[in-house]
Amino acid sequence: MMRKIAIVLLTLLMPSLLLGQEVVLLKKPVSSKTVVKFMFKNGSIADPKGKEGLTVLTAALMMEGGTLGYTKPEIDSILYPMAAWYSASADKEVVVFTFEFPSVYQDAIFDIMMGLIVKPEFTEENFQRVKSNQLNYVEQVIKASSDEEYSKMALEEMLFHQTPYRHMVAGTVEGVKSISLADVEEHYRKYFGVKNVTTGVAGAFKDRYVEKIRQGLSQLPSHEIQLPELPAPQQPAGIRVRIIEKENALGSAIFAGFPIDVTREKDEFVALMVANSSLGEHRKSYGRLYQKIRETRSMNYGDYTYIEWYKDGTYHQLPPSGTPRSSNYFGLWIRPVQIGESLRSQYPELKDVSIGHAHFALRLAIREIDLLVKNGLTKEDFEATRRFLKNYIKLYIQSPEKELGFLMDSRFYNRRDFISEAGAILDRLTVDDVNAAVRKYLQTENMQVAIVTDDSEAAVLAKSLKENLPSPMTYANVVKEGLPGEVLDEDKEIENYKLNVALVEITGSAKMFIH
Amino acid sequence: MKIFAYLAIPAIALVSCGNPKGDAPANELFPYPIVQETLDNGLTVVTVEYPSPGIVAFYIIVRAGSREEVEPGKTGFAHFFEHMMFRGTEKYPPEAYNDELKNIGAAANANTSIDRTIYHMTGSASALEKMFELEADRFMNLSYPVHAFKTEAGAVKGEYTKNYSNPFMRLHEATMAAAFDKHTYRHTTMGFWEDIVDMPNQYKYSLTFFDRFYRPEYTAILAVGDVKPTRVKQLAEKYFGKWQRGNYTPSTPVEPSQTETRYAHVQESGFPPYLELNYKAPAFDASTVDNAALHILLTIFFSERSELYRKLVIEEGVLRNLGFDAHFARDPYLMNVFASFKEGKDMQRVKDEIVQKLEEVKSKPVGKQLLEDAKSHIRNSIIMHMDNPSSIADGHSYFLWVSGDIRFFDALMKKYDEVTPDDITAVAKKYLVPEKLTISTISPNKEGGIK
Repeated sequence: MMRKIAIVLLTLLMPSLLLGQEVVLLKKPVSSKTVVKFMFKNGSIADPKGKEGLTVLTAALMMEGGTLGYTKPEIDSILYPMAAWYSASADKEVVVFTFEFPSVYQDAIFDIMMGLIVKPEFTEENFQRVKSNQLNYVEQVIKASSDEEYSKMALEEMLFHQTPYRHMVAGTVEGVKSISLADVEEHYRKYFGVKNVTTGVAGAFKDRYVEKIRQGLSQLPSHEIQLPELPAPQQPAGIRVRIIEKENALGSAIFAGFPIDVTREKDEFVALMVANSSLGEHRKSYGRLYQKIRETRSMNYGDYTYIEWYKDGTYHQLPPSGTPRSSNYFGLWIRPVQIGESLRSQYPELKDVSIGHAHFALRLAIREIDLLVKNGLTKEDFEATRRFLKNYIKLYIQSPEKELGFLMDSRFYNRRDFISEAGAILDRLTVDDVNAAVRKYLQTENMQVAIVTDDSEAAVLAKSLKENLPSPMTYANVVKEGLPGEVLDEDKEIENYKLNVALVEITGSAKMFIH
Repeated sequence: MKIFAYLAIPAIALVSCGNPKGDAPANELFPYPIVQETLDNGLTVVTVEYPSPGIVAFYIIVRAGSREEVEPGKTGFAHFFEHMMFRGTEKYPPEAYNDELKNIGAAANANTSIDRTIYHMTGSASALEKMFELEADRFMNLSYPVHAFKTEAGAVKGEYTKNYSNPFMRLHEATMAAAFDKHTYRHTTMGFWEDIVDMPNQYKYSLTFFDRFYRPEYTAILAVGDVKPTRVKQLAEKYFGKWQRGNYTPSTPVEPSQTETRYAHVQESGFPPYLELNYKAPAFDASTVDNAALHILLTIFFSERSELYRKLVIEEGVLRNLGFDAHFARDPYLMNVFASFKEGKDMQRVKDEIVQKLEEVKSKPVGKQLLEDAKSHIRNSIIMHMDNPSSIADGHSYFLWVSGDIRFFDALMKKYDEVTPDDITAVAKKYLVPEKLTISTISPNKEGGIK
């Protein structure tokens, strides 16, 4: 008979024996696995100008080397039979180190874990290796692995121009090239201190284990950590499009967005979650955009919207933790749509088309956002979406690692437990609250748009966007013959829907992420 | 679609037993009761009780994947059909189905691979009956108009289009086509582009496909989490009990023996050069130690702790990464060692070093400590992964699709404990030989050029 197990959630803000150390504890008395996380408030905004990528390189090197007590091969030999793993993940404002191991090894792994955080060994050999991989990522991999992730990174660069958020967390080509081992050592001393760390522990553990970790962390520097100020990103003036052309792209990958001044800290964020879910819940078929672009018109694989950063959305169904941000933007993700060259080769009836579906898809999506702003959610849609979210957000925290991560992120937003608090906010929310938040934060006149596409499509797409030319949808006959009249009527409105385009530029892929 | 999602975490697919010290019974490693039953119509029903208060992972596994695509012009159809399963029934047209799913608040999706298609929902345990009702309805009564069929093909094309920007996808296509002559593993689960473009014209065939494979004898239900086996069986009988058996038996072509090394190449500049040594692997088989021994061998020689990783990645720094994939499928498939390079000029030399390592083990058995450490690593990996209902369902479903029987989980775990150094030597001699090898490469060059 299985024991009925009560899972106890216990979160504590312990009194500060050691100033600045915040601790989040998640006790799971019967868990056979332990998770320890160290979240440092620094992130890529701490990168010095000209050394973009330094924070993530420092974090990666901490995890890739040895400690003062153990060489890297010794660590590998000890941890390998345990199947213990650890890693660093960096975002704009935090770096999170996560250690996961079977609970029976809590003591065996302790010195290694603490050593990697407080006494990491930085060697020239490891530095060169990690730096080379990071450079390869910003120079090649990001541009040649997924056009969707590529367009998302390009969008962030446009949105956060002239703020410390601008560059990719992984840095820029010139930034990474200029980093030396001495830079890493200095950055580590400067930005990884006892006053900007939050520790999280999940699993079956004793209080004295936590105390040992706290004592260990006291070896970190205790100075105040100075981070750069974060100016609010400017709203773009009009719709500003950057088309990135590359060879042999099979489709057009689109990401668009504009800054919004709302985070999980405000209750309004939860109101906006409802509207966003109705419009374009991540990887769900219920969203209006998904329904209109994929289900009805057969144009691509999916279409979603966001009100905060969603790491690696291409690969995750549910959101990961560890990327809290104080600066958000409304994001629109249109997965790759067909280009003219490909359409011409697929169907005889489309052999004369001059352009693919990107302009039409962008118009359709922006018009749909516009309709949401103008008409708001209906009471019925509001109720259904609220009910969905109340259950769905519980799935964000299925594993102890996820639950701990979301609790730690909550602290960043001055909340104790965002998931349960959001549930309570959803309970008291009204449709008017949601529609008020929509009117306050969403609009369609000003946004940045990044499109990664084939070099055969770039110029014709740029002209079409710039001149607001009509963009009739070009269906294959097999699809067109069965479409209801109201869809074709709506297509007519969409193809002429005016976008407030202020700028369209074409950039060669080789020029991206250099500085 | 997630091709080989399971093998992203091979340690779950191929697990061993015992506690971390290897001296306790298997139930301490996975101490949650597993109950498997078979309904009169042939439907397999498995329940895993797991302490996830209020949450259940509800999986339906259909043992039909791209392996079953035996007719020419129909590649990618199992995956396409997975899409069609969301196109509704008379009782629940797509909008109504979506409304119900939204009401449950579940994380629901589906994916297809070479040997199976999986439909999964994770959500509130109190919604279990509704999950059964919705799924039984579409599995038994799927009904979509011709136009919906034609429209869905565009989404599959969109999926292919998004994947195409990744050179690994193109290499995977080329590797399968090179490594297999007759077997349906020759084409990827996504299918050939021309077949995808032609999909809107295959409505009639889609009815045949549904009639053949969406039958109880091809299907298993797996529920993991805050549920009881009696309740799961009761619901299975209530909603799936009237599902009729079919009468189709696929005849998957037998792949002739490979007789010499083959090659696949993708030309790509602006991407790190890449090498894969793909060897024909045995099919899943828990009656011998071969699967376990090969998995342990690859773990010893190509994991991050291996000598070769330390030399080539850490010390010499010629590689960005070195690793392996072990995939034991329903029929003999591929297992591989892969390496990502700083510079393509090192490719031949590294390939020779990998092969040399594999040759050495044929005459020099691995040390006892290396073997025990690898077994311990694999055992502990299961503890690390099995910490929520979805992960457990992902892991355990492997045994249902590859063997049709969850009990092979225990059987295979026992084989891991039995593996000896001589077994490792024996499988190296049997499987890791040049005539079973396909060398796959990505580089800026027109040809791979690796011998």
